[in-house]
Amino acid sequence: MNQIRIPQGMRDLISEECEKKEALKNRIENVFRSYGYRQLKTPAIEYLETYTNAYGDVKDEEMYKFFDQEGKTLALRTDMTVPIARMCASKFANAKPPFRFRYSSDVFKVRHTFAGQRSEVTDCGIELIGCDSKADLEVLCTALDTMQAIGAEDYVLEIGNSEFFRSACSAVALSEEESSQLAQLIDRKSLVELQEYLQTLKIDAGAVSFFAQLPMLGGREEVLDRAEEVSFNAALKEEVKTLRNLYRDLKALGYEKHISFDFGKVPHLDYYTGIIFEGYVGNVGASVLSGGRYDSLLNKFGRDLPACGFSVKLDALIDILPKEEQKITKIYYPRGREAEALQKAKQLREKGAVELIEAEGKEIEVKA
Amino acid sequence: MSLSIALTKGRLEKKTVEMLAKSGYGIEKLQDKGRALVFPDTQKDIQYFLAKPNDVITYVEHGVADIGIVGKDTLMEGGKDYYELLDLNTGICSFILAGMPDNNPLEKVGHIKIGTKYPNVTAEYFHAKGMEPEIIKIDGSVELGPVLGLCDGIVDIMETGTTLKENGLVVFDTVCRISARAIVNKVSFKLKRDEINAFLNDLKEARD
Repeated sequence: MNQIRIPQGMRDLISEECEKKEALKNRIENVFRSYGYRQLKTPAIEYLETYTNAYGDVKDEEMYKFFDQEGKTLALRTDMTVPIARMCASKFANAKPPFRFRYSSDVFKVRHTFAGQRSEVTDCGIELIGCDSKADLEVLCTALDTMQAIGAEDYVLEIGNSEFFRSACSAVALSEEESSQLAQLIDRKSLVELQEYLQTLKIDAGAVSFFAQLPMLGGREEVLDRAEEVSFNAALKEEVKTLRNLYRDLKALGYEKHISFDFGKVPHLDYYTGIIFEGYVGNVGASVLSGGRYDSLLNKFGRDLPACGFSVKLDALIDILPKEEQKITKIYYPRGREAEALQKAKQLREKGAVELIEAEGKEIEVKA
Repeated sequence: MSLSIALTKGRLEKKTVEMLAKSGYGIEKLQDKGRALVFPDTQKDIQYFLAKPNDVITYVEHGVADIGIVGKDTLMEGGKDYYELLDLNTGICSFILAGMPDNNPLEKVGHIKIGTKYPNVTAEYFHAKGMEPEIIKIDGSVELGPVLGLCDGIVDIMETGTTLKENGLVVFDTVCRISARAIVNKVSFKLKRDEINAFLNDLKEARD
């Protein structure tokens, strides 16, 4: 059979794209290495249970699933954070934290048919395990240095704080279902539906106006003042202060040009427990870096350690990066003089790549 | 930074262009368009292009358009990876449940069949009522379904109700109100926040 197709959402990468991707990966890994992160690899296949254990609302329609010989359900990994949490709780059970792990691995998600999305992408990231929120500053610096290393002209790291929203919800005694519905509307900035939904909640006018403003509570430094103004209790003001302190330190370290905030950033409420951040670059339609603090994940695998991390989606960036210059010297040789050509190539290979090409003519010719 | 804006072709395009004209945008090229597909604003650093409703979402999700103007009906049926920032309060109509007068699907005991162009909207509507109908996707003249006995009822868009009446159908329930919305690419909103907010504010003023 003449089978030439590949499954939905998969791609073949040809030389130039691979070279760009590899070069990008190296630049990013250099940053991770410079912060003392150690590499690790986990299997591409996990038990589905590992994921259902980690996430309350695992989207199993997004997972590639199959069975092993005993009928247990397996899944291709959809991220690296969960496998690392699993591994950390078992293989590092007797090791003393903190742990600094870095990885660069392909992860898989079933994407919509014909939506122009990839089902297989390379995630390149770090996890800092065993350090509490005092380490957020360091993780943010790592993320900012990573954005710089990507090499895009124009980039922003946007920081949010999931506790700001959570604290407000508990202050007005919203149920879990109400909070999660509200979080969705705020995170998607569905301003029209948000207004409608807020009218159905039994909360006072002050709280309604607070939640209604959250989606637009984003921007540069000045948004911190606005966030403080809308904060209706001391706990909320405290959360703003946390970000203010981070900003002060990041500014002192020279990063302020690339920082913005969004208090309406509240994805995956059952997962993130503190800062959340995303990196954006011009001409890429989705965030290229995302991460945050997830202090309760490792406990689900039996080892209670705080953690914070992020990953970069390499594939989204390939299109905006310039071509990597590849210098290959070419040796043209006539048929029958292969050994001589190889001898010549051997000397030249000490300096760089050499490609042998059989050609018409009598002489061996070298072209740089 | 320049903005790229996708408008839904047709009725919505005319209403949006009216609003933009009112706010002083240079939309002459949009009013007098031959076969061109992309139209630069003659006053501001903006380019417009026209697309089918579903494609407006696709262009915005991919970031090819920073802003899209599209009906809520299309948004409800399609993807969700964008910010929905403004109700333009134009292009108003509603999703309704309709059928033959003697056969209200909401009161029927047993298996229900609903014909619609909007399977997701239909499923969500009935799911919220604790019901689970069989949904039959129909692409045009949905009113035919109950008349010919293909299904018990239909979920469709109603503007005036004339087509329903002429075919002897009645409205049993309103699913929700529909109007034109402005959607924004998530990354554009971070990188071009001021330009986008200015554009949305102008539309808001033209609306109110």
